Amino acid sequence: MNPRRVAAVVRRIVAQFRRDRRTLALIFVVPIVIAALLGWVLRDQQTVPVRLGVVNEAGPVGQRIADALLAAGSAHGADSGSSVRVPSSTISESTARSELRNDQLDVVLVIPADAAAGVTSGHGVHLVVITQGANAPTEGGEIAQVQQLLVGAIPTIIPGSPGLPTIQHETVFGAANADLFDALSPFFIGFFVYFLVFILTGISFLRERVGGTLERLLATPVTKGEIVLGYTLGFGIFATLQVIVLMAAMLIRIDVPAMGPFGAFVLGLAVPSVGSPWIAFLIAMLLAIGAVSLGIFISTFARTEFQILQFIPIVIVPQALLSGIFWRIDTLPALLQPVARALPLTYAADGLREVMIQGSGWSAPGVQLDLAVLTAVAALFVVLAAATIRREVA
Amino acid sequence: MTDVASRSHGENATPPAGVEAPAIEARDLVKTFGSIRAVDGVSIELRPGRIYGLLGPNGSGKTTLIRLLVGLARPTSGEARLLGRPVPSRELLARVGYMTQADGIYPELSVWENIRFFAALYGSFDRLRLVDTLRVVGLADRVDTPALQLSGGMRRRLSLACALVHQPPIVVLDEPTVGIDPALRVQFWRHFRSLSAAGATLLVSSHVMDEADRCDELLFILAGRIFARGTSAELRQRAGTANLEEAYLRFSGDGGDGDPRLLGDGPRAGHGPADGGPRPDDGPTGSVAGGGAE
Repeated sequence: MNPRRVAAVVRRIVAQFRRDRRTLALIFVVPIVIAALLGWVLRDQQTVPVRLGVVNEAGPVGQRIADALLAAGSAHGADSGSSVRVPSSTISESTARSELRNDQLDVVLVIPADAAAGVTSGHGVHLVVITQGANAPTEGGEIAQVQQLLVGAIPTIIPGSPGLPTIQHETVFGAANADLFDALSPFFIGFFVYFLVFILTGISFLRERVGGTLERLLATPVTKGEIVLGYTLGFGIFATLQVIVLMAAMLIRIDVPAMGPFGAFVLGLAVPSVGSPWIAFLIAMLLAIGAVSLGIFISTFARTEFQILQFIPIVIVPQALLSGIFWRIDTLPALLQPVARALPLTYAADGLREVMIQGSGWSAPGVQLDLAVLTAVAALFVVLAAATIRREVA
Repeated sequence: MTDVASRSHGENATPPAGVEAPAIEARDLVKTFGSIRAVDGVSIELRPGRIYGLLGPNGSGKTTLIRLLVGLARPTSGEARLLGRPVPSRELLARVGYMTQADGIYPELSVWENIRFFAALYGSFDRLRLVDTLRVVGLADRVDTPALQLSGGMRRRLSLACALVHQPPIVVLDEPTVGIDPALRVQFWRHFRSLSAAGATLLVSSHVMDEADRCDELLFILAGRIFARGTSAELRQRAGTANLEEAYLRFSGDGGDGDPRLLGDGPRAGHGPADGGPRPDDGPTGSVAGGGAE
């Protein structure tokens, strides 16, 4: 291993990138823009009131339930975040169904004829809700809001009832009001680095293979190890800068006061992070080192840049889906669980979450496992990458 | 031009031609890809300080033979030696300048960055030497130009400079003059001659016969076999033809009536590798090619 030859490879990669403004923008600006966009979408979501229709088939008892819902709905207001627009009058089921079809209503609550008997006998009331059935997760949320409203209305429906106990939510890590973006941001840091380093290395090395420079390189005394190390360090410089920029954008919160015509605004996404940024950084870097070698390895199987892009849905997307961020690994189908546990992005996502949200340090066994697996995977890919550089002498 | 070459080659060069050991040697080199015998039993000995032309049509095995000789590919059987030492060897690569058929330079990088990169890989960091090399190929005033903005001929010259930057005693050039204009071709050959005068051994492949006259000695290759060898005059005389093209066709087992086999991988025509230099007793019809002549 000759450090001057390694340095020559590193310097060449840096020089190539410095000339390529668009790629620099891809590395540094795009992740921040996407993170900001996601933060905006996930945090400032509009609350659209649930349009409820009530069908009463239970006579006066049903009317009492409908009135109680109306009262609870208007008392609820906007303060709870959830809002259900309760109609002042009930409608027939056929009208309700046609209005659901025409997207004039979101949820229809049917109070069946036997509800009256349920209330008086104290055996409980069986209600029916009807939804469009076009978007299950959204409708589930809407039903939950209606249910919440019903719970709040119980004392009115059944006079003298104390209602259900209320629940207050506390957490051991982070804040109870942490949003979806806070939970996803550690993963994003890892994912962006992994994705971009993989694509850029893959294309760079493909160009070496196709453009004849690799043949030329191999006709010099440079070793395969020096090439892989040079690539790793060269891309490592850019991965390092990218992680720093991205972490800063995610973690920092700078309140800019109102000045002149500009109102006050906040710079940075202000994700609450309790852990050591150094460990988070190390995790991202190990992932990036693996991605450099993975890119070199994959470039063997491509003939054009377009074919490198074809590896995104094959190599990158499944790793993201199975990383445990979107669905916890133990909820995955039994066959996919071992697959998910073999993918490096899974360990990076887990490690970054443990460090940034749970504040785990070096001593946490989970973090140690993540670091160990990422190191092993990076080492494996380095060996694979070196093996794809063909020459008769090492 | 010449002074640069002679100064630089002083330390590496083997003594002038005569009784010395061959700079490039091959013994029964065979390289097969599946059922194709790309190189089919080549034995050669090339002496230092001379320019050898490797002539043959596209697909005749020139590049494969060159890669075997340099040590970029491992032969299926047989052996190659450079400067008396067996290839492949990483140390030997430092003593070989190999200009590939493709330019093999980085288009985003400037002329200077390209040559400095290859120089560093060869372990030479002498700025003056880099400037000298660029001066020789006429790019000294273009150091800051990105290779992308160079003309095709300039890129070719940069590619040549990158192969010569470490002043190697063995220079292997794979079709160095393809796609360059006549004036530049003359410049290239003048430089090749100055390198050989300084003691370097050059192996230049080409499929253009009119370049062959500039070589000290020619190797005709077809279907992976060297089927004739000698100086241009000798080969023409032995073949009894006025020009080399016809001599090539005659030796390759063809009457020179324009058989299309020259254009592609025709059936192997020569009989065994030509093992030696010109044989004075060979008849004018060229017994090296053997059975081809009735």
